[in-house]
Amino acid sequence: MVSKRAQGPDPARIRQARAAFQAALGADNVFFGEEDAAAYNDKFAVDDTLHHPSGAIAPGSAEEVQAALRIASEVGIPLWPISRGKNLGYGGSAPVLADSVILDLSRMKKIEYDEENGTVLLEPGVGFYDLYDFLKARGMKHWLSTPGNSWGSVVGNALDRGVGYTPYGENTSKICGMEVALADGSLVRTGMGALEGSPTWQLYRYGFGPAWDQLFVQSNFGVVTKMGLWLMPEPESLMGMDVEFDNPEDLGPLIDTLAPLRREGLLQQSPTIGNWLRAAAVLTTRSEWTDQPGALSDEVISAIRKKYRVGWWGVSLRLYGREEVNKAAYPILEKAMNDLKPLSMRPAQWKRGEPLENSGWTGTPISFPMQNANWHGGRGGHIGFSPVLPQSGTAAMAQFKRTYDRYREYGMDYQASFAFGERHLINVNAVLLDKDDPAMMGRVDPFLRQLVADAKAQGYGEYRTHLDYMDLVASTYDFNDNALLKLNERVKNALDPAGVIAPGKSGIWPGAKGGTSA
Amino acid sequence: MSTLSKSALTGACTAVLIAVAACGSGAPAQDAKDAPQGGPPPMPAPITLSSRPGAGPGEKLFIEKCVMCHGPNGMGTGLLARRMDVALLEEREDLPADYVIQAARMGIGNMPAIPRGEVSDADMQQIADYLASKTPKDMGGTLGGDAR
Repeated sequence: MVSKRAQGPDPARIRQARAAFQAALGADNVFFGEEDAAAYNDKFAVDDTLHHPSGAIAPGSAEEVQAALRIASEVGIPLWPISRGKNLGYGGSAPVLADSVILDLSRMKKIEYDEENGTVLLEPGVGFYDLYDFLKARGMKHWLSTPGNSWGSVVGNALDRGVGYTPYGENTSKICGMEVALADGSLVRTGMGALEGSPTWQLYRYGFGPAWDQLFVQSNFGVVTKMGLWLMPEPESLMGMDVEFDNPEDLGPLIDTLAPLRREGLLQQSPTIGNWLRAAAVLTTRSEWTDQPGALSDEVISAIRKKYRVGWWGVSLRLYGREEVNKAAYPILEKAMNDLKPLSMRPAQWKRGEPLENSGWTGTPISFPMQNANWHGGRGGHIGFSPVLPQSGTAAMAQFKRTYDRYREYGMDYQASFAFGERHLINVNAVLLDKDDPAMMGRVDPFLRQLVADAKAQGYGEYRTHLDYMDLVASTYDFNDNALLKLNERVKNALDPAGVIAPGKSGIWPGAKGGTSA
Repeated sequence: MSTLSKSALTGACTAVLIAVAACGSGAPAQDAKDAPQGGPPPMPAPITLSSRPGAGPGEKLFIEKCVMCHGPNGMGTGLLARRMDVALLEEREDLPADYVIQAARMGIGNMPAIPRGEVSDADMQQIADYLASKTPKDMGGTLGGDAR
């Protein structure tokens, strides 16, 4: 049995599993060299000594995933499934438990497309660029919803509740039906897929009886080998504006203006309000502006903002759909923004047939936002801190002020955004790391723990977290003595008694009884 | 081995970065006052397999595995532009194939390592030979060979 306090599997067990994996998957798809293991480490790790895998295997089909799971369960080897392993800021391709074997699904790249109904059935190795290319070759009749780092997997993003910026931005809510390999090697299909030969697997989410899709999201109860996803039909037109605001205090009124429009449905996308550094960290490096350690001064911030003409906060809003409807909605949105007296407002307009704006607002895959990893000039990265807030300007301003004070206390530069959902906000912080500065790196862990504690004191929890903080964040979900975590552990023990699938994912450890792992 | 330059934030690099800011993709947009008349220059569409139907084998693999970061608007191009005259890998004339493989397998700068589970040794060799095809053989490239 794999357990939390184990040091990982012993070398003899790994040798035994390795031989069995080679027999099942072919020697070419089993990787246990030193360089192989190192290639799956977390590039953005705060502590480079943690989360090292022992090797990797790369099955090419659901059948090979099933075979790998059977071997792992028999031998007692923990597997850490990755789709494409680009979850940078949250652990990349690395496992929670050191010496786990990476189950690399990046070779599994099949796409099935139902053009009439606007759905796809994807294997985990399909990246956003792959799906974009696939749809573009077929006339782009459906759009993607891409995250700021679109290098990764469409399935992996939805399974970790990543977001994009279109009306389909909450990707996990567009999942419709899965195929999942369980720890014993059996294969299940959820929703209507449980009905042999059903034509409605990707059309109706729930099936009959309990609906399981979300139980395989951010969990370690199975390995998703196929996932259904709804795609947004190409709209007839796009209208909107990019708006900049001059003062930190503009955040609250902006949220209180956008939230009712979002809830009403006039605004259907998921806009993100980003601070000045979210723009600037892509454009320049810190050393161009100052050599002073600690958080940036207001003078430096003003100089950077002036050069790049960015607001303290900025937001891009887009309306999607029929041109007549957008033309009617646009003046309402424009007036709402003008009433806030923004620093600048630039309209954007597109009609089908015209050249498309190649941005996240049109679901075009992008990778340049990851340039913020170079903000400090050398070896860098970022780590996420992302609590869920109510959609309230007062709550967001309080969260901003509280967090910004902590950044300055710990001498960190503040990069943050407030991302709208339908009823919530997520305050996404990308804490920018300088891995060449040991003093700063020593402050990161206590800083992150402080942020989690500050959020918890307000009743806020994170929607997603880095490997280092999965236990910590799980422990903050503490109603009735962590009853939810105990339930998750009971499910884990029932489905995966040997504890081989992603031990420690989301704080869920195998073998735990009654919340002992909390 | 490469042409390092500190003229990074001028020329092509600046054009790429300003385009990034001005188009508001994931980052707040710039003030329209900073944009040329008629709006900012459009961001280039991503290069994918369907946009280069005539690509050769090594080029196809480069497009499938690398161009999302090493294309005109990619993270890798943006960061290389900060310290090199030629930021696009496909335009480099100083890329030995062995160096490409080492950089990809070990990771370099802010680029994570590319494991063999994602790109096989055979595919990686084809990508490296393709990127080395403008580099003379005596510099470790394949120029004059039949890689392209």
